[in-house]
Amino acid sequence: MELLTYAAVGVAVLLGVAWYLSYNAARLDRLHTRAEGALSALDAQLVRRAEATLELANSGAVDPATALMLAGAASDSLEAHNERALEDDLLEGQSFGAREGLESDLTAALQAALTPDVVAEIRAEDAAGAAALQRVEGAGVRVQLARRFHNDAVTDVRRVRRKAVVRLFRLAGHADLPRTVEFDDELPPAVRD
Amino acid sequence: MRIGIVCPYSFDVPGGVQFHVRDLAEHFLAQGHHASVLAPADDDTPLPDYVESVGRAVPVRYNGSVARLNFGPVTAARVGRWLERGEFDVLHIHEPVTPSIALLALWSADGPVVATFHTSNLRSRAMQAAYPLLRPSLEKISGRIAVSEDARRTVTTHLGGDAVVIPNGVNVARFAEAAPEPAWQGTTDAPTLAFLGRIDEPRKGLPVLAAAMPAVLARHPGARVLVAGPGDVEAARERMDPAVASATEFLGMVSDEEKAALLSSVDAYVAPHTGGESFGIVLVEAMSAGAPVVASDLAAFVRVLDGGRCGAMFTNEDPGDLSRQLLRVLGDPGERERLAALGSKRAMVFDWSVVAEDVMAVYETVTHGMDDVRTDHTGHLRADPTDTRWTRLLRGARRGGED
Repeated sequence: MELLTYAAVGVAVLLGVAWYLSYNAARLDRLHTRAEGALSALDAQLVRRAEATLELANSGAVDPATALMLAGAASDSLEAHNERALEDDLLEGQSFGAREGLESDLTAALQAALTPDVVAEIRAEDAAGAAALQRVEGAGVRVQLARRFHNDAVTDVRRVRRKAVVRLFRLAGHADLPRTVEFDDELPPAVRD
Repeated sequence: MRIGIVCPYSFDVPGGVQFHVRDLAEHFLAQGHHASVLAPADDDTPLPDYVESVGRAVPVRYNGSVARLNFGPVTAARVGRWLERGEFDVLHIHEPVTPSIALLALWSADGPVVATFHTSNLRSRAMQAAYPLLRPSLEKISGRIAVSEDARRTVTTHLGGDAVVIPNGVNVARFAEAAPEPAWQGTTDAPTLAFLGRIDEPRKGLPVLAAAMPAVLARHPGARVLVAGPGDVEAARERMDPAVASATEFLGMVSDEEKAALLSSVDAYVAPHTGGESFGIVLVEAMSAGAPVVASDLAAFVRVLDGGRCGAMFTNEDPGDLSRQLLRVLGDPGERERLAALGSKRAMVFDWSVVAEDVMAVYETVTHGMDDVRTDHTGHLRADPTDTRWTRLLRGARRGGED
């Protein structure tokens, strides 16, 4: 009788532990999925932003010197994206390579080019330029959103992966520890008005 | 896009969150999206056809005011069925950290979730006590929105991480085009003031206004205060000075049309709130209607009024300062016109056309990611019914092996 009780308690404890482990594994899997999704959204929005910037540069709405500066920063950004596209998994390693610097450069170029006067002029006089400007704004806003959401997801992943049960039972498998993506994504103030 | 919106507060009574949810849903429906709202409501409350009732709400004291909330297994099952039927591309949950259908929806959600935080004072004690339980649910939120900088700071402090600030929206045209109601219009001798909000909730500030009124009545004996909002009228009258009580008209709960008419009729709208406001949508509505705004200097109100430029501000909970500001505004038609003009311009920042576009950008950002990963790695759909935790666990291990 006593043996049976011990056995029953033992089975119950084992079941409890198994449930707890699978629960944590599922939770971690969901978090990794969220972080990967957010990173791929960020990647897509950065491409959109660079393409819209190229469009603006080629629309004739800005002077040639500004156009060249914008086109240079935008094509650097696209090139860095395309290099990575050759790899099997775009999000392999879940890091952003050296792209942070290039994206900050594009942000700086946009800020330098799109002063309040220039923005007002484009909006007033150039239909194609205004449309491109609107696409730059739309993509810029979404870059900000995607980066913030990604970094939130990364914070959550890293917190759960610090848990003792996750480390002890290697619930994260071989998945890389995601990192936050830090670059300047501030839109030129005049564009946002 | 198929959008599911969860509102934890009952549609029986008016409230900022309820109006926000209603307007957001109507805006997206008008744009051709599919939108469904799940909210508590009594059986006899008339609801628009895009709102689904989750049943009657129970009045509970929460977060300093009486909130009407839903919980329990029956409610949880109803929430689950609504989610299943809706097949939403994105689930937008308002006030996720309330003991209500918001938390229940988050609990059973399985897809991209956006959450909007309206309040600037989460109950930190309740939060801390229940945190280990809430955390895994809160991790499901892919995109967090805060309606104000104050709400964002609360999110950052209590939940960690960050949130994007997208203010509450107002249908500016609805208020700007409202016809004034002659009975509520003031004259030079008898100006009218408007107060909106629950009258028996001290933090809405009716007592502060009542205490400031004797000084106003001394200068403008015919002045009237028009109070629109639910609550016990007799008790409120008894708490007031008799002279002030007789100068006060209680309109009870008003419809949206009446509210717009009231705001476009009065000489000033008074917002004497003492705290707990993270945004101040009524201020924007008053500005849209062209009413000069006299408001307490809560951080949220200062921000809505563009650093206090677009209204008259008084020291919070100081009836003396309120009466000084009221006398200044009521005694100077030029100042009223100036404030009304500044307010009308400022209100456009909060128009739904601007705000809903930002919310849609959030939806697009979170859904983009999910579409990608749903079919990723193994080609399996996440929604596969055979996809239990065990298979996911195994797949997790396999994925690790593939690298």
